[in-house]
Amino acid sequence: MAQAVFTAGRTSAWSAPRWRPRQASVLAFALLAPSLLFLALFTYWPVAQVLWQSMHGQIRVGGPQAYVGLDNFQKLLADAAFRKALVNNLVYALGTVIPSLVLALGFAMALVKTTRVNALFRALFFLPVLIPLVAAASIFLFLFLPNVGLIDYHLAKLAISGPNWLGDPDIALWSIMALTIWKNAGYYMLFFLAGLQAVPADAYEAAILDGAGPWQRLRYVTLPYLKPTIGFVLVIGLLNVVTQVDHVFVLTKGGPSDSTNLLLFYVYQQAVENYDAGRAAAGTLVMLALLLVVTASSLRTLERSFGEKEP
Amino acid sequence: MTTTRRTLLAGAALAASFALSPAFAQGQTEIELFFPVPVDGQLARDMATLLKEFNEKNPSIKATPVYTGSYDETLIKTRAAMKAGKPPAAVIMSANFLLDLKIEGEIQPMDALIKADGKTNDQFMGQFFDALHGNAVLDRQVYGVPFHNSTPLLYVNTDHLKEAGLDPDKLPANWEELVTTAKKLTRRDGDRVTRWGMMMPSNYDYGGWILQALTHSNGGQWFNVDYGGEVYYDTPSMLGALTFWSDLVSKHKVHPAGVQAGGAVSSAFLSGQASMMLLSTGSLTHIRTNAKFPYKVAFVPKNVKNEVPIGGASLVIPTGVEGERRKAAWTLINWMTSPEKSGWWSRATGYFAPNKAAYDTAEMKAFIEKNPDAGIAVSQLAFAKPWFATYRTVPVRKAIEDELAAVLSAKKTPKEALVAAQKQADEIMRPYVEQTALKLPTN
Repeated sequence: MAQAVFTAGRTSAWSAPRWRPRQASVLAFALLAPSLLFLALFTYWPVAQVLWQSMHGQIRVGGPQAYVGLDNFQKLLADAAFRKALVNNLVYALGTVIPSLVLALGFAMALVKTTRVNALFRALFFLPVLIPLVAAASIFLFLFLPNVGLIDYHLAKLAISGPNWLGDPDIALWSIMALTIWKNAGYYMLFFLAGLQAVPADAYEAAILDGAGPWQRLRYVTLPYLKPTIGFVLVIGLLNVVTQVDHVFVLTKGGPSDSTNLLLFYVYQQAVENYDAGRAAAGTLVMLALLLVVTASSLRTLERSFGEKEP
Repeated sequence: MTTTRRTLLAGAALAASFALSPAFAQGQTEIELFFPVPVDGQLARDMATLLKEFNEKNPSIKATPVYTGSYDETLIKTRAAMKAGKPPAAVIMSANFLLDLKIEGEIQPMDALIKADGKTNDQFMGQFFDALHGNAVLDRQVYGVPFHNSTPLLYVNTDHLKEAGLDPDKLPANWEELVTTAKKLTRRDGDRVTRWGMMMPSNYDYGGWILQALTHSNGGQWFNVDYGGEVYYDTPSMLGALTFWSDLVSKHKVHPAGVQAGGAVSSAFLSGQASMMLLSTGSLTHIRTNAKFPYKVAFVPKNVKNEVPIGGASLVIPTGVEGERRKAAWTLINWMTSPEKSGWWSRATGYFAPNKAAYDTAEMKAFIEKNPDAGIAVSQLAFAKPWFATYRTVPVRKAIEDELAAVLSAKKTPKEALVAAQKQADEIMRPYVEQTALKLPTN
């Protein structure tokens, strides 16, 4: 957008070189102003506040905020719960984004042909996306109930004593991940459906004429065409992983023994339960830095795949 | 065409009420009451009924009930409202948060209001059960008015007792009897347990309270009642309590492993998948209405002595509530904790009425006659002690609850867990300790 305006300004600049470029940049800023205003108000200003808060805290119990330097960061790194949340978030990211992505691609490939049955299945797979996360978590809360819950109830019929899905520190995070995959796969399927429909039919025809089997078609035709979609879904997925905690709140509150504590939930706990705004701000900054690295590297990969020549 | 006419009439009535409402609103003090729902049941509906009656009786005040979730969430939301500069006029606050709120300067003493009514603090508090004073009177000032209170209670499915050939009139009274009874009640199908003899909730908020009950029954203390910077996690009495719970799971295998939420425990009991449970008296009404089998309640079984912590909530007025709103809040608080209303609330929910005179009312006498389980809950109050309260109560409590979860999942031994919990709790309370007990004169 900005580039287009700039070019437009330059082409007409030949006739009136003295004021046109300036007018162009005024126009550019005028067009950008609303977005800049909102960015400043809802992103940069809060970030500045968090930066300030991360170096302040209560020195006296019940007292006002005071400058404490890097104390909050030291406390943060010394906290085992924070390190645990960091590791949990990593496991959670890898364990949900990749399976949801593979599942979504599978669904999309199976349902890419528009038939009536496929339309029904598409709707069914998309259904979880429509349910609010808190509502979905509440449903899973009942599914996961030990002994009396739906899952354990049916397992009992097969004479299997089901595990304590949310009450066992070894299983709880995986239970939550199952909910996330269930919730996200249908959403990502939409992108893949769109991506698949954009693959030209003659590419497949050519592949078949060359004697390519189904695996080779997937490897050398479908996947290269879907590269931008995969990149896009990866970015969305990774952002979701860090910003969603509603289900943790509903299902486990980070327990048992911090086994399902994620970064954002940790920040919430520090801010509102432990009443430690300084440490929460420090945690937010660490999260922000991580997000920046993730998105920047993903966007670079994305750009590269967009820039590549079509296969 | 009756529908049209009815619609017209309804419309007219609506218009009339709109026209009238500004007149009513004038001179009316609007206040809001934050209230939690910590146990199963219909508490939110009952609260709406209660406040509707209050508003009808007090036309100069318009009190709005605001549902705020669990006890922990109510604390969070109250603090958020205060930070936003809009403190609610009154809050039903978990009784053990009062000390922390006082330390942070977030609630106000009610001494002036009590004095204005022509009473001394002792006279005012005298209407409530003695066990409730510890969590309401801090440093000789009244910070909370007890509204509904509880203790843990043993619930037993008497059908299951009979099936197992046990006497339904003789409920387990000590830990030894509890273990032998639970063993007889537990049903197995090979290695698989189809019915648990005993269940206790161990989720956040509930687990710490139950463990405190076991610690008291084991002769222990849990925390320093007079000082907000000391807990006794790594002590013999707590080791005994935690080992007992852990043994029920790992050694006797009569209690399921891992964390059990309060709702999961009551569901298991109601569906017949658990024969006995420790749960709040606050759940009495829920169990009474939903149990399709005969059940009985008893004191929490003791090891050394009968002693339990109180639970439940008190009404508080946040700092910053002044003038007419403070007066209106005080009117509401007094009305809600009167013998009649606290009695009504007790019958609706199962909680104790903290006001002793509530039990002298005819309705309450008839109710207890009909529901002896409510009477047993009241008699246990004589053995009740204050609820755990320190500086930063929630994280200090979570420190032990996280370790409790590890023990119940066989990740740690009770001793390891208590050492770790003590270390973490001390760390959390250190700022307070350093500024109070350790702050000695330097010259």
